[in-house]
Amino acid sequence: MTSRDYDIVVLGAGPGGYVAAIRAAQLGFRTAIVERAHLGGICLNWGCIPTKALLRSAEIFRMCGRANEFGVTRGGKTRVDLKTLVGRSRTVAGELNTGVGFLLKKNCVDVIWGEARIVGPGKLAVRKLKKASEHTEPSAPKDALGPGDYAAQHIIVATGARPRVLPGLEPDGKLIWTYFEAMQPPAIPKSLLVIGSGAIGIEFASFYCALGADVTVVEILPEILPAEDAEIAALARKAFEKHGIKIFTDTKVVDLEKEADAVTATIEFGDGKRQTIKTERAISAVGVVGNVEGLGLEELSVTIDKETIVADGLGRTNVPGIYAIGDVAGAPMLAHKAEHEGVVCVEAIKRLNVHGLDKLRIPGCTYSDPQVASVGLTEDKAKAAGRQVRIGRFPFRANGKAFALGEREGLVKTIFDANTGELIGAHMVGAEVTELIQGFVIAMQLEATEEDLMRTVFPHPTLSEMMYESVLAAYGRAIHIPPAAGR
Amino acid sequence: MATVAEASHKDRILASPLARRLAKQAGLDLGSLQGSGPHDRIIKRDIEAALGVGRDGASAGQAVATVPGRAFAAVPALSDEKILALYDKGAYKILPHDNMRKVIAERLTIATQTIPHFYLSVDCRLDDLMRARERMNAASPHEGPRAYKLSVNDFIIKAMALALQEVPAANATWTEGGMLRHRYSDVGVAVAVEGGLFTPIIHQAEVKSLSEISNEMRDLAKRARKRRLAPHEYQGGTTSISNLGMYGIKSFDAVINPPHATILAVGTAERRAVVVGESIAPATVMNVTLSCDHRVVDGATGAALLGTFKAFIEDPVRMLV
Repeated sequence: MTSRDYDIVVLGAGPGGYVAAIRAAQLGFRTAIVERAHLGGICLNWGCIPTKALLRSAEIFRMCGRANEFGVTRGGKTRVDLKTLVGRSRTVAGELNTGVGFLLKKNCVDVIWGEARIVGPGKLAVRKLKKASEHTEPSAPKDALGPGDYAAQHIIVATGARPRVLPGLEPDGKLIWTYFEAMQPPAIPKSLLVIGSGAIGIEFASFYCALGADVTVVEILPEILPAEDAEIAALARKAFEKHGIKIFTDTKVVDLEKEADAVTATIEFGDGKRQTIKTERAISAVGVVGNVEGLGLEELSVTIDKETIVADGLGRTNVPGIYAIGDVAGAPMLAHKAEHEGVVCVEAIKRLNVHGLDKLRIPGCTYSDPQVASVGLTEDKAKAAGRQVRIGRFPFRANGKAFALGEREGLVKTIFDANTGELIGAHMVGAEVTELIQGFVIAMQLEATEEDLMRTVFPHPTLSEMMYESVLAAYGRAIHIPPAAGR
Repeated sequence: MATVAEASHKDRILASPLARRLAKQAGLDLGSLQGSGPHDRIIKRDIEAALGVGRDGASAGQAVATVPGRAFAAVPALSDEKILALYDKGAYKILPHDNMRKVIAERLTIATQTIPHFYLSVDCRLDDLMRARERMNAASPHEGPRAYKLSVNDFIIKAMALALQEVPAANATWTEGGMLRHRYSDVGVAVAVEGGLFTPIIHQAEVKSLSEISNEMRDLAKRARKRRLAPHEYQGGTTSISNLGMYGIKSFDAVINPPHATILAVGTAERRAVVVGESIAPATVMNVTLSCDHRVVDGATGAALLGTFKAFIEDPVRMLV
């Protein structure tokens, strides 16, 4: 055995990859991780974390606008210092990036810097990154190993995903942005077109709207946030529109004309009618595709379908010794799903864990204003699956803490199987719901029934009381809303 | 000695609230189930497995244990009533069947009722194998992940896997639609556990080294005894091995474990007098009997498989190529 033989090598140091590597090291595997651009991956450097920093600034700015309402007056006009705002977001990402390097080092995980290719069963060739894109800022951490040949009994592909590029909407980094540019704007555009209304599109729409841009969102599907419960998405839409975001659903962008410092989009509505919209900038947020290319997967006949690697619930591909986790292994493309898949995959290799992740218990969060959070089946999907359901709804405007916070818009919705009392879905829109949803995720994971939730004590006064009341409401027992008419 | 606390802990059935409610609604006895959640907790998945229903959502990689299909009903030779009438009340006690017992009864009844079995038997000389095994074991590191201790059974798994690759017609499964010709040799090995048996599978045993097979088998057997196997670890497979040699059994016929087409029944390795040339010499000999599904494997195919197996076992160096 040479020093370059590993039990497990992980390709990609995003949230799926680095968590898998640390878990592997905990279990005693000789582990290495290959990364070409930045520890922590897109999530930490160009995704989840820096956007949360931006949205925090937007929230504070918006709250400053409401300061008088709370009895706080400040002299002068509240202004945005964009340089500091973006700089703070980059600093936050940078600090966490260093943190990942520290954790890998302390867990004795070797970091190999470069681009990996699987050249045969258990064999890897790592080369220097040929062309660094402007976003990669490749800088190898100290002590990182360099290019060369490496061997590993198990190879876990965790190479993540990148923005989907649609023909005609190709980002150019100047007028048409992806999340890379949208995260560090040189100036707040006066007007902005956001193409796609998934979590990424909606968060940017919310951010730029808060900072004063005139934002238009175009979604090809009949409702924004297509993965969410329709009732919740409709409520979120109302709130966004109240903030001034223009939203066109069931609408597609058929042409995007670039000018010197503006773009003109031709959009087509569901009925075939067309309209043009001129904005300073456009963001393409039409989803992401898996990074499956250049890894040597085709040569080894690893099955790839729809730009993602086909893997079973334990991350195993059709080729023994090659595993895939996270975005590159398919939807839902979420960091916490990737992390869990990484842990499950490594524990399965160690033969500790033998059950895959239950995808109906993976929560999803959108950090717009208002926030949206959910887990499990939507009402439509539950009904389509033939489930008889009991649905509970509890509004923010009936919760004391929401009053005190000055956040009266929102809803907590719970869906139970009418026959068994199983909690099969929970959907929320409103302030801080991304921090609330986990309560329902735990309930689902422990397989609590409505009875267990009704016997659980929720602290007063908190927003979480709405979760309790929503469960009660599903069974006609809510305390703080009047009984339904006719009862 | 079990303390009272331990005893009462053992009696307590760990089950999720939802599992308890589902079991109650279905009239299932939680005590008859094996939990697959953390700390062997019985969860929704186990109830669904026991009821033979799939999951509601399309959830990747969630193998659902195939426990008694409801469509199947074994025809008892005698009704329970008639059997009970033959014995005095008080002369017996009734132990309820657990799930494993029901699965064994169902599958082996199906096997004997639907698979046309025939049997081929052959003696294998183990002298070379025993010597090779001794030398290999002596070369193992004393400890660490690369340590191993090969058993005769590990060689049998490997030989069967390689023989199936050489006689691919026997590495097959009968279906009404057509013959499944398997690419890999996934060898199931019967492991006796308290109250029944499991047949965990060594997947792709043809490409694994003896030490890999050995260590994997040790792990599977250990977890089988604790009933900690995942469904994918005992479902499927292309053949199986049942070894009763350690009980001194000379030879026996095994019932095929569907959907396999063969099963190898392995007897004890014993010192015997054998004729070598014109003289009689002592040798270590083991009898093996191959049960074949005649729909898949004809006599000559079965004989070719068994002959190839014997050649590997008697000259184990060949397994290294």
